[in-house]
Amino acid sequence: MLADLVQNTLDGLAAGASYALLAVGFTLVFGVLRRVNLSYGPAIMLGCYAATFVHLHYGAGLLALAAICVLASVAAGAYVERLCFAPHGKGSAIAAMVASFALWMQLEEVAMLALPRHLYPFPPLYEGGPLAFAGFTVRVEALVMLAAAVTVCALLWGILYRTRFGVAARAMIDSPVAAELAGINVPRISMGVFALASAIGGLAGFLISASVEQVTPMLGMWSTLKGLLAMMLGGLGSLPGAVIGALVLGLVEAHSQWFLGPQLRDFIAFLLLFILLAVGPRWIRSRHG
Amino acid sequence: MSDTLLEVRDLVTAYGKIEALKGVSLQVKQGSITCLLGPNGAGKTTLMMTIAGILRARSGTVAFAGREMTSLRPHAIVASGVALVPENRLVFPAMTVLDNLRAGAYQRRDDFAPDIEKLFQRFPRLKERSAQLAGTLSGGEQQMLAVARALMSRPKLLLMDEPSLGLAPLVVEEIFRIITELHRDGTTIFLVEQNAHMALKVAQHFYLMEQGKVTFSGDPGSLAEDEVIKRAYLGSAK
Ligand SMILES: Nc1ncnc2c1ncn2[C@@H]1O[C@H](COP(=O)(O)OP(=O)(O)O)[C@@H](O)[C@H]1O
Ligand SMILES: [Mg+2]
Repeated sequence: MLADLVQNTLDGLAAGASYALLAVGFTLVFGVLRRVNLSYGPAIMLGCYAATFVHLHYGAGLLALAAICVLASVAAGAYVERLCFAPHGKGSAIAAMVASFALWMQLEEVAMLALPRHLYPFPPLYEGGPLAFAGFTVRVEALVMLAAAVTVCALLWGILYRTRFGVAARAMIDSPVAAELAGINVPRISMGVFALASAIGGLAGFLISASVEQVTPMLGMWSTLKGLLAMMLGGLGSLPGAVIGALVLGLVEAHSQWFLGPQLRDFIAFLLLFILLAVGPRWIRSRHG
Repeated sequence: MSDTLLEVRDLVTAYGKIEALKGVSLQVKQGSITCLLGPNGAGKTTLMMTIAGILRARSGTVAFAGREMTSLRPHAIVASGVALVPENRLVFPAMTVLDNLRAGAYQRRDDFAPDIEKLFQRFPRLKERSAQLAGTLSGGEQQMLAVARALMSRPKLLLMDEPSLGLAPLVVEEIFRIITELHRDGTTIFLVEQNAHMALKVAQHFYLMEQGKVTFSGDPGSLAEDEVIKRAYLGSAK
């Protein structure tokens, strides 16, 4: 029983690390633009499909595939930004969100035109089995994911707190009008933030695909959902909050799966989303009062 | 007209169907302190935000140093030498005082560390609190920070929208002392104020604005101060 708890906690943290990468990218865009980008996940999915396409037709090493995932996600993200977010600058958040939903459908269509089967194999991140110590097992993939999450968070902190771009991005998070008055080139910083978020998302997509060794079009919705949920759990728009929210989500899923069975894993995520939407506004108000 | 730094002509700015500026024309002379007075809702903030490029004019022009800038984006306006200290200060509350100043220097590619040092001499309180989050400062300190942030871009023209609003009398005096100092150091200042008494003491020229229109323009002394104050607070119609 205790052993199971520890094992579930390890598994939950591993899943939480992948959610953390997704959530940090999602939250970055939300914090700076105050817009929900539903196409966040689908852009990542498209990046992973581009890598899968290259892998199937030409063959490529893992590092090259990772680079393709990141670059293609950034390209798809930039496309979403131009079409959904740049034109609505000061306009309605709902319009931008609906537009990003329309692009979601478009990105899925593109992916399924290029690779029409529902499921494609993705080369594994690590060929060997899990590591065992003291009766517990840890997948090497999970360790890579954790290391990646820690590295990305540290790098992101450095960018936000030690660079001119970071000062500008934080200024936009704080007050968009004051940022413009301070002389910050707001459209350019928005684009930069979008690219950065998409790159983090692309890396997350690569690591996740290479861990589960497959891609499906569902990766898009799945990524948006996990990113959104972790961000909401973390109190909407806070980056450290998003990381904590992601770990909580991973832990809750791992433990509830053990109690309720694996079929209910995603049900739990949806249930959490439902509860958050029901009581969320109060929780959010109390944090931003 | 070579000594006109800012020239606003027939400016119309609207929120939806409601015109807040109904054809405003005015000038700010190089090296002057020019003051804009008027009751609440006259359109003073709207004018400032239009000059700064945050609001788009429906018609009319704004020219700075002879250069048309009505269609420029806000950051380009800052780059050309105009900075606005906005109404209600609008500092970056979750950023440190130092980072607020760095944000104000965003346009600059040169080394701005000496500017920060100079501003810290002018505003010693900001130096003491340089690592503190701006949101934790007092109202007066936030106003100083908003001014200092605007100065980081080395503006030739400083726009100030009600810098004394909601501040204690002693702090208001300090704000006005800083305004005269900046002016003496060569910055042209276009100041929106409710505090007509203080404003008329420092300004060389002033405009009265009511309901989206300039209704009077003159030098302090060209209209009895109590009449100015009456119209600045209440409008001439009442
Ligand atoms: N965001 C806004 N939306 C609609 N109307 C506005 C907005 N801001 C100001 N107004 C209106 O425009 C007019 C001028 O306002 P403002 O420029 O703030 O005046 P002042 O700064 O002189 O007090 C007022 O009638 C005000 O109600
Ligand atoms: Mg005002």
